[in-house]
Amino acid sequence: MICRWIGVILGLGLASPALAHPHVFVDTVLEVIFDDQGRATALRVSWTYDEYYSLVITEERGLDPDYDGTATVEEAKALAGFDMAWDAGFAGDTYVLMDGVDLPLSRPSDWTAQYEGGKITSTHLRKLAAPIKVLAADLIVQSYDPGYYTAYAIVGTPTMTGAPAGCTIDVFAADPDAADAILQAAIDEQAGSTDVEGAFPAIGAAYSDEARVTCIAAS
Amino acid sequence: MHRGILILGLVLAVGLAGLWLAGGFGTLERLVEQGQRQMQGTLAGAVRRLRAADPGALMALMAACFSYGFIHAAGPGHGKVLIAGYGVGRRVPLMRLSALALVSSLAQSAVAIALVFAGITALGWTREQMVGVSDRVMTPISYGAILLLGLWLVWRGAGKLLRQRPSAVAPAEADHVHDPHHVHDDHCGHAHGPSLHQVESVSGPRDALALIAGIAIRPCTGALFLLILTWQMGIFGSGIAGVLAMGLGTASVTVAVAGMAVWAREGALASLPGARIAAVLPMLELGAGLVVAVVAGQVLLRSL
Repeated sequence: MICRWIGVILGLGLASPALAHPHVFVDTVLEVIFDDQGRATALRVSWTYDEYYSLVITEERGLDPDYDGTATVEEAKALAGFDMAWDAGFAGDTYVLMDGVDLPLSRPSDWTAQYEGGKITSTHLRKLAAPIKVLAADLIVQSYDPGYYTAYAIVGTPTMTGAPAGCTIDVFAADPDAADAILQAAIDEQAGSTDVEGAFPAIGAAYSDEARVTCIAAS
Repeated sequence: MHRGILILGLVLAVGLAGLWLAGGFGTLERLVEQGQRQMQGTLAGAVRRLRAADPGALMALMAACFSYGFIHAAGPGHGKVLIAGYGVGRRVPLMRLSALALVSSLAQSAVAIALVFAGITALGWTREQMVGVSDRVMTPISYGAILLLGLWLVWRGAGKLLRQRPSAVAPAEADHVHDPHHVHDDHCGHAHGPSLHQVESVSGPRDALALIAGIAIRPCTGALFLLILTWQMGIFGSGIAGVLAMGLGTASVTVAVAGMAVWAREGALASLPGARIAAVLPMLELGAGLVVAVVAGQVLLRSL
C-alpha cells in the first residue's frame, strides 16, 4: 500500500518533464541522404523558427530594419550559423535510432540560414558516424529537445536522396497519451525494483514526432 | 457553503487528478502546445505593429500578452503545483490564497523586468546571458524554495500528527471542554492535542513570502524576450505593460487553481464528521507537502 502511494507520488514527479513549457517552436523538415551503396549516411535538418523567436534574433542582429519580414541575401549570409555554436553537451535535438540503439551523429556542418515571411529557417547537415544499411530494422529519426525548452514538430513528408528502391519514409506524430502510458509502465517497472537510484527511463523520445525509414529488399 | 457543493469540489478534484494520472490530459497538452505555437505569431505581429506605431497596437499587444500568459499557464507548471499543494495542505482562506496567486504572478513579471533592466543597463548582459541566468540560476533557486515549502508542510503536518498521539492515550484530557475565554498557556498547549483553532492557525507572512518567492523567482522566457525586444526597439514602457499583462494572464489560471484547491480541501473536510477534522488536517498537510516536495525535488535535480 505504502509502496503504491510512493509510486503514485514518484509518478507525479516523473510526469513533470512537462513542468517546463516550451518557449521556442520549431518546424523540422528532414532529408535522409544515402550513399551509392544504398546506405544512409547523413541527415539534412531544416529548422523553421516561430515568428516571435525569429523577431528576437533579427532585432538583436539589426537585420530587417524595415520590418518587412524578409532578409536580403547578404543579411541571410550574416545570419547563417547563428544557431550552430553548440555547447559540448548539446546533442543537437536530432536523434537517429535503429533497433532501439542510438546511432552517433557528427557535429553540424554545411549550415545555411534565410529569413522569409517573418520566420528564420536554418539548415545543417549531420553525418552518421558509420553509414548504415536500412533493411532488417527501420531507421528512426526523432526531433525533440529533452528539456522541452524548444518544441519541435516534423512538418511535411521528409525526403530521401539516393535511397535504394523499396525504401519509404513516413512521419508518426507524437502521441502524448501513448507516451504517458509508456512513462507509467516505466514507473511501475521501477517501483517493483529496489534500484531506486537506477537510471531514469529514457522516455523523452516517446514524446517526439518521428520519421521512419522502411526498406524492403529489392527483388 | 452547502456541504454537498463542498464535497462536489473534492470529487471534481479527485476526478481531475485521476484523469491526469491516467494520461487523459494528453489531448489537452497537445491543444495547449498548438495554442502556444500560434501565440508566437500573434505576439510577434503585435510587437511589429507597435514598432510601426500602428494605432491600437498597444491594446493589441496587451491582449496578446494576456493570452500568452494564460496559455502558458494552462500547461503544467511550478506555480500551480505550489498553489494547489499549499491550498490543500494549509487551511488558508480562499481570498488570501487567490491574492497570493495574483501577487506571485505579478511578482514574476516584476522579476523579469528587474532582471532585464539590470542586465542591460548595469551588467551589459546579452540575451543569452539573461536567459541563461534565468534558466541556470533562478530556476533552481525557485524549485529549491518550493521544495523547502513542501518540506515545511511535511514537517508541520508530521509534528501535529505526533502531538496528537498523547490525546488518544488520555481521552479524559482530550474531552475537556474549552472555555472560549480560556487563556491558553504553554502548559495547556502541551497537555492537549491540538485544538481545531491551533490546527487552523492562519499561515504567517513567512509562508506567504516563500510562496511568492517560489513562483516569482523564475521569470518566464517569453517575458524576457518581450522586454529585450522592446528595449532594443526603444519602446521599453510598452514591454513593461505587456509583461504585466502576461502576469495577469498567468494569474487568471493560478487563481482558478487556488479556488479549486480550497474547494477540494473544504470538500474533503466537509465529508468528515466534525470531530475528525482536527485529526485529518495534519495528514492533508503532510500529504500535500510530500507531493509538492517530491515534484519540486525532481525538477530541481533535473534543472541542476
